[in-house]
Amino acid sequence: MAPELALDNRDFESLAVSPLRELGAYEAMWDNPGVTFKTLSEKFAAHRGALPSDFVTTAKAEEYADFVRERFRAAHIDRFGVRVNGAGEYPEKLRDAAHPVELIYYQGWWDLVESRCVAVVGSRKPSDEGIGRTRRVVRELVKDGFTIVSGLAAGVDTAAHETAIETGGRTVAVIGTPLSHVYPRTNTDLQRKIARDFLLISQVPVKRYENQDYRMNRLFFPERNVTMSALTEATVIVEASETSGTLIQARAALQQGRKLFILDSCFRDARLTWPHRCAEKGAIRVVDYDDIRQHLSQTTH
Amino acid sequence: MTSASIFPRRLTKIDDLTRSDHSYLATADACYFLGEYTARKGYAFSPTNHLIFNLKKGMERRDRPEWRYKGVAIQTVADALRSALNDKARQNFAFVPVPPSKAKADPLYDDRLAQVLRAIWPGQETDIRELVVQPTSTPAVHDRDDRPTPGELEALYVVDQSLVQPKPKVFAVVDDMITTGAHYVAIRNILRRVHPDIPIMGIFIARRVPEAVDVEDFET
Repeated sequence: MAPELALDNRDFESLAVSPLRELGAYEAMWDNPGVTFKTLSEKFAAHRGALPSDFVTTAKAEEYADFVRERFRAAHIDRFGVRVNGAGEYPEKLRDAAHPVELIYYQGWWDLVESRCVAVVGSRKPSDEGIGRTRRVVRELVKDGFTIVSGLAAGVDTAAHETAIETGGRTVAVIGTPLSHVYPRTNTDLQRKIARDFLLISQVPVKRYENQDYRMNRLFFPERNVTMSALTEATVIVEASETSGTLIQARAALQQGRKLFILDSCFRDARLTWPHRCAEKGAIRVVDYDDIRQHLSQTTH
Repeated sequence: MTSASIFPRRLTKIDDLTRSDHSYLATADACYFLGEYTARKGYAFSPTNHLIFNLKKGMERRDRPEWRYKGVAIQTVADALRSALNDKARQNFAFVPVPPSKAKADPLYDDRLAQVLRAIWPGQETDIRELVVQPTSTPAVHDRDDRPTPGELEALYVVDQSLVQPKPKVFAVVDDMITTGAHYVAIRNILRRVHPDIPIMGIFIARRVPEAVDVEDFET
């Protein structure tokens, strides 16, 4: 036996986090239909300082970790990482969410999480004007050095990511599927490019996602909007209907103390009441880009 | 909004998820790190990246105003290691810094790791042994086209025989960044010959992901 293996350093080991074991333990905790982001965050709030591995046996954690690695391998994901609350490099700003996620998966350049980030989101079926407005606001934000964060959905999200890339900017996608899945399929290449050159983030547990019905999995989409808001200093809503999932992000931004920008065109749409309700709670009506710029942080890099 | 992330104060194990990033490491190597260095040209936003830039500032910058940030970085790392380790570690470990690439007499000799180690538990007995030394200066790794292998490094290193005794309970090899793992493996091999039955572990201020650019590439 190599001397390393003979080392009885359990006191020391207990101080160090093994990301792979935490990933497996987290997946195991999720593998129960009653578990939600809310119940998990309550559990961790009740056990301050706990890690997923405190609730799951090592053998079970290993079994689930193997499952995830197998799935990712099959999806040709050869490198990925996780961030665990309580371990190194976990973004503290995630704690501002109502039910903060304990673990997230990522691919790509983690560093972008620490850059000045603004989310640009909106309808999956925007008008042509909506696409044009998305492109304009993204171009301005990129010029000011912001990283563009969005959800890789069809419509506004896709236009936001693509414009950021085309104009030489940086972009982060927070997706509502595991890293091993793509939705919509038409964004397969875009997701791959973001994972390789920028940053792709998912909070969705892999085993649970595969085990449950697609209708249940749809709930992961609005939940990632809450995380997207927490990761950014502001959210810009370009266009959204009265029942859009984008409004989850609007509510989250206000609740988390983030800036919420709503384009003037939303206010001028007589069918919509949500822009006015959000404005009453502190959202900023954007007539031109200066309305955004003057409320954002200044460049330090 | 919650303030930006701070430099990690807890160790993370190099496990099956990350070991392949450090090609010389074997499965049995017990290696731990605090932060992840992920800088790429134009992308350098994290506290870990800034800390590493400041910590590795070359001695030729000693007369510049920015020099004080090096001292701040040394203290930050020492504070993080104090949080990450416990008193048992202080009592049982012999801390062995990876030797600087410049010889002691060289004006560019930088003993930042020894400084970090001395600042972890000031005033308390800590076994810090500059047991492995490099008597001849070599170009820093980033100035070479090829990275050295563990065997090449072993050939450069010499054991300071005056520091071999007493026999410690654990060797903790300390370096600021683990990249391929070549320096760690070289020292581990040497320490195994010094005391064959002593467990060895590696403690790193940061691990560098493979595609990240060298610190020095950023400074030019």
